[in-house]
Amino acid sequence: MEAVSSTAGLHHAGEAEHHHGPPAAHRSSRVDPQLLGMLLFIISEIMVFGAFFTAYFFIRVVDGNPWPAEGTELPKLIAGVNTAILLSSSITLHWALEAIRRGNRAAFKAGMATTFLLGATFLFVQINEYVHIGFAPSNSAQASVFYGLTGLHGAHVALGLMILLMVTVRAFRGHFSPEEHRGVEVPGIYWHFVDVMWVIVYCTVYLL
Amino acid sequence: MRRHPVALMVGVGLVASAIGIALALIIDWFPTDAAKQAGPIDTLYDVLMIISVPVFVLVVCATLLSVWQFRMRPGQERQDGPPIHGNTRLEIVWTAIPAIVLVSLCSYAYTVLTDIEEKKPNTLTVNVTGQQFAWRYAYDQDGRTIETTQLVLPKDRPVLFKVRALDVIHDFWVPAFRVKIDAVPGIVTEVRATPTKTGTFEVVCAELCGLGHAVMRSTARVVTPAAYDSWIAEQVRGGSAGGGAAGGGDSGGGASGGGGDAAALGRETFVSNCGSCHTLADAGTNGSAGPDLTTALRGQSEDEIREDIVDPDKRVEEGYQPGVMPSNFSQTLSSEQIDGLVTYLASVSR
Amino acid sequence: MTAKLRAPGWYRAALFILLGLAFSYALVGVVRTLMHYPDAWSDGNAITTVSLIAIPLFFLVGLGCFDYWFYYAAGRPTRAEDHSSHGATSWKAYFRVNTDHKVIGIQYICVSFFFMFLGGLIAMLMRAELAQPGMQFVDSATFNGLFSVHAALLIFLFVIPVFAGIANYVLPLMIGAPDMAFPRLNALSFWMLPMAGLLLTASFFAPGGAFASGWTAYAPLSTDMPLGQVFFTIGVQFAGASSIATALNFLVTIITMRAPGMSFFRMPLLVWANFSTSLLVVIATPFVAASQFFVLLDRALGFNFFDAFVGSGKNGSVLMYQHVFWFYSHPAVYIMMLPGFGIVSEVLSVKARKPIFGYRMMAFSLLAIVALGFTVWAHHMFVSGMQAWIRVPMMITTAIIAVPTGIKIFSWLATLWRGVLHLDTPMLFALGFLTTFTLGGISGVMLSMIPFDIYVSDTYFIVAHIHYVLFGGSLFTIFAGIYYWFPKMTGRMYDERLGKIHFWCTFVFFNVTFAPMHLLGLDGMPRRVADYAEQYATLNLLVTIASFALGLSMLVFLYNMVASWRGGPRAAANPWRALTLEWQVSSPPPIFNFDAVPTVVGGPYEYGVPGAVHGIFQSPTEAKPTPAGSVATSPTRE
Ligand code: HEA
Ligand code: HEA
Ligand code: HEC
Ligand code: CUA
Ligand SMILES: [Cu+2]
Repeated sequence: MEAVSSTAGLHHAGEAEHHHGPPAAHRSSRVDPQLLGMLLFIISEIMVFGAFFTAYFFIRVVDGNPWPAEGTELPKLIAGVNTAILLSSSITLHWALEAIRRGNRAAFKAGMATTFLLGATFLFVQINEYVHIGFAPSNSAQASVFYGLTGLHGAHVALGLMILLMVTVRAFRGHFSPEEHRGVEVPGIYWHFVDVMWVIVYCTVYLL
Repeated sequence: MRRHPVALMVGVGLVASAIGIALALIIDWFPTDAAKQAGPIDTLYDVLMIISVPVFVLVVCATLLSVWQFRMRPGQERQDGPPIHGNTRLEIVWTAIPAIVLVSLCSYAYTVLTDIEEKKPNTLTVNVTGQQFAWRYAYDQDGRTIETTQLVLPKDRPVLFKVRALDVIHDFWVPAFRVKIDAVPGIVTEVRATPTKTGTFEVVCAELCGLGHAVMRSTARVVTPAAYDSWIAEQVRGGSAGGGAAGGGDSGGGASGGGGDAAALGRETFVSNCGSCHTLADAGTNGSAGPDLTTALRGQSEDEIREDIVDPDKRVEEGYQPGVMPSNFSQTLSSEQIDGLVTYLASVSR
Repeated sequence: MTAKLRAPGWYRAALFILLGLAFSYALVGVVRTLMHYPDAWSDGNAITTVSLIAIPLFFLVGLGCFDYWFYYAAGRPTRAEDHSSHGATSWKAYFRVNTDHKVIGIQYICVSFFFMFLGGLIAMLMRAELAQPGMQFVDSATFNGLFSVHAALLIFLFVIPVFAGIANYVLPLMIGAPDMAFPRLNALSFWMLPMAGLLLTASFFAPGGAFASGWTAYAPLSTDMPLGQVFFTIGVQFAGASSIATALNFLVTIITMRAPGMSFFRMPLLVWANFSTSLLVVIATPFVAASQFFVLLDRALGFNFFDAFVGSGKNGSVLMYQHVFWFYSHPAVYIMMLPGFGIVSEVLSVKARKPIFGYRMMAFSLLAIVALGFTVWAHHMFVSGMQAWIRVPMMITTAIIAVPTGIKIFSWLATLWRGVLHLDTPMLFALGFLTTFTLGGISGVMLSMIPFDIYVSDTYFIVAHIHYVLFGGSLFTIFAGIYYWFPKMTGRMYDERLGKIHFWCTFVFFNVTFAPMHLLGLDGMPRRVADYAEQYATLNLLVTIASFALGLSMLVFLYNMVASWRGGPRAAANPWRALTLEWQVSSPPPIFNFDAVPTVVGGPYEYGVPGAVHGIFQSPTEAKPTPAGSVATSPTRE
């Protein structure tokens, strides 16, 4: 490549003083880029779930197979309790976000920690449920769909927990402030999405 | 001398369209048609060509005309065309006309579809089963199921094919009938055709089903109704003889000298399992995916033949590929059937 | 040495590959021991499957794609506007994780053309085998592998990413943005691509050969194929993740980073096209990911999504795969065409020196295609045995897609009308596209008519359609775009004479190669076969010979690109006198695109309007925007 017409070459991270950066991009929308990115990501996540629900739809509705497969039972009650746990984690997360908005660090830390613990409990209960449920994905297509949907959701919870852990670590290190808390808000949206998705999974897989 | 370029191009376009349509209609690109379904489908093709060719010619002519008329001449290097931004009337026209054309085409295609899929009285039902890499057929006749690798159909009688698959997706296609349908594991799919010509027509598997996909072919024989009746009657007799293996009795079709029950069972098993791939004069099969067993088996011992059947990939015949002949006959066939096959094949190849 | 192993780069990446292997081995061993499986530590299939996922990820970590986020996650100091990995001063910069959209664009284009040549060479092998009936060079298992890899490479590693690459380069420039919205995500998307390509290609070395179930990988064939299938299943995940991330990036960039004054209806149509495409990608691509998840779960963990065998009692659904797959893959064909529509709009308008005819309708028809594109997937399943009633609505929606597409074709023709046509290479490819794509589109409309499709489905008629729309459509626009932006990207001019030779050879041999396939299909030759009946021999020989000539004409292109990049004459900032913003900066553009963000004051295609400009620059150091020329004295009357 030819030397470019701009006078700035490569520069090193330390030399921010004579830093020649790009001109600040013009903001052509009121929506925050990070937020928009997260929303679009969630759309594609919804479509992944949509594909798994398509499998559910074909195997349960189109082919008219019994649900759950004969001789198996789904632990509605335990999963119901688990749903409550997950939903309450959304509330604590909201509480944490409100706390940092007001500048209440202690409440913020406490909120993040409880959210994380609630999420981890959910995942733990879910894994425990797998161990005791009495059928394996190889038993039938219904079982495959059950494990597929709950497992996909579990993977999202795990991912969400990882992100929450990051936020929590940073919270305890004193990051974020009432002015700058996008790093809590954007992961928070993801966590709320994971919760809402669970409600849908719970209703279709366990209740209906 | 100086004709108007647009008029000239319209002329060229008309001539080109006419030639294109003529080529499409006069030259018959299709294989023989041997079923009622072929007529409407071929006509649909003709109609599609009558519409498509002018559309294509229009686009090509407009492009060529622009290139011819509006290409940059020397001295125009820095000039621009007139700033025309659009023309609502024109845009409506070229939205509406294609829309109308397409909707009419769809309606016409819909009538063709109902026509070729119409349920007819006196329909003969043939069960078709696809498996890697062979077709098998079953007829329900006189309360008995006749299994065979031969597809024989009476002329002028509507046929309903009920298609199943044992392993992966296949596609049952008789090009001369123009119709095809996938054979899908777990469900029964249906397709209808009414043969109109006697003769032998190819049956092709049109859905990728593994390495033997290209050789998964056999033939359909359309015969006169009388010939069909005697064929099916013969099958019924053959089936009863073989089916009651313990009953003894003289088997009707056993041209193989000696061998008795076992050979009869073997012949029957051969016709319903192997004939789609192997030609064997004695059994009357004419498959072509595997070696012609009329000659290929000369001089082979019973043990060798058994090995060929149970473990076909162990010794692969010159010019053929491993993996095409199913390797699970030891599971899908009973040991009596395999014994019968071995006895039968050994007896006919001597 | 340890310093090198700790800093992001190839050394650390190599180390991480080993770590990834060890990790996979340990994971499989431990899990299988816990589950009391036999041969816990020696199951080659399981270890390979896990390593195929883990090694690319470890490699990406080693290369440094994630460093910034790891720092951020750990709460270490980071600077969001860190540009230390920006720009290129030597060719080596192209082999690093670079966050400059221009570098990434070129990385994309080069990698995808590499895979294009690979996929094309595979096609040459196929054509050699198909020259005569009977088996000559390869056995049928290999042949099935060849066309599967051919299609998978050309679709997932060439057409989709090369459009992303071109847009990566020019789109931020076009909208007056200094970079993409998420430069680091952009780099990650790029680096996932070679991973996907290597996986697909490496499948040839898997025991049992490459994946051989076609690019469609229909279950249950794909669930009981040898190990090579897993390479496809996982490779597609990487390609898919890459395109979703890029699409998201484009959408955010287009929505939030346009220059002041650039309203949606002042955006160049290339931007519109990529906006629509990105919508398709974000919504549809997760479905192909899921379809391959299903296959992977069935294969690796014993799930039963597709086990429908009578007697097994598992109740799987075979048709479900096809619905999920085509719900992605039909929109995918527009993912492979809409960016091309954008390129053609740019090229035609500039080279005909006229505004795009019906700009708004051009934008709306893109959106119409996006919307309709989601409602037609089952036209690939007319003979699949699905519920019969679905077919007719799908036929109607499919046919109706020809209306917005027709609007585009006719508007382009009207754009040519009374223009001043500069018939250089990009323009020739754009004009060639108009004719060949129309042919391919029309054969598509014929296919949408159910009774006709029942006859020609799975024959060479489909193969002809595929190549008329993908080669005559997408590839022609790609060539047009590459020639058109070559001066901008490299700062050099390509050789016009070679370009024209390339066009004419490609155009002629393309048609001779693929037009006869229509006839083969009508005559009943099925697709995906290595061996065929005697009656098809003559046409196939013709096709093969023409395809070799087509392959050779690619070499002209290759030579032209390489030689011109190294030693072509220097290009001016704006050799085409175009109005869009990317041409208003130097060739190649400055490292941060603009010293100051330009202000857009008019439409992008105001050719023929005296003195019209699209954008103005406050900074005096930037090149002056080029105004449109004067109106030609009616060229028809001479
Ligand atoms: C770039 C890729 C691309 C594009 C743009 C298209 C565009 C279209 N395709 Fe194609 N298609 C493929 C790539 C593409 N396709 C591939 C890869 C396959 C095979 C997959 C596989 O099985 O491996 C396939 C298969 C395929 C099938 C399934 C065939 C089968 O397997 O049985 C069908 C059936 O309806 C179809 C239809 C169409 C239609 C109606 C369009 C329309 O969008 C076309 C619209 C355009 C025009 C019509 C031209 C311009 C319009 C005018 C000039 C207006 C006037 C026109 C009329 C009045 C007719 N395509
Ligand atoms: C963008 C997509 C794209 C492109 C560009 C091509 C390009 C080509 N394709 Fe492909 N093709 C598909 C997408 C594409 N194809 C798809 C989706 C299928 C369906 C697969 C399936 O059924 O699953 C398919 C299937 C397919 C088949 C049918 C296989 C079958 O069903 O049995 C054939 C057969 O002829 C074929 C041929 C070719 C040829 C000759 C080219 C040529 O245009 C290639 C030209 C390029 C080169 C040759 C490379 C560059 C040149 C060199 C490196 C120089 C060296 C040259 C020589 C040695 C001569 N393709
Ligand atoms: C899908 C096609 C197919 C079917 C069905 C099939 N075969 Fe074969 N057969 C082949 C092919 C291909 C070969 C050659 C390659 C090989 O030897 O494996 C072969 C080879 C043989 C041979 C060895 C021939 C020789 O020259 O040594 C015998 C014997 C044989 N088959 C018998 C049978 C019998 C009996 C059946 C039915 C129970 C059967 N085949 C079913 C395809 C088939
Ligand atoms: Cu069976 Cu192809
Ligand atoms: Cu489609």
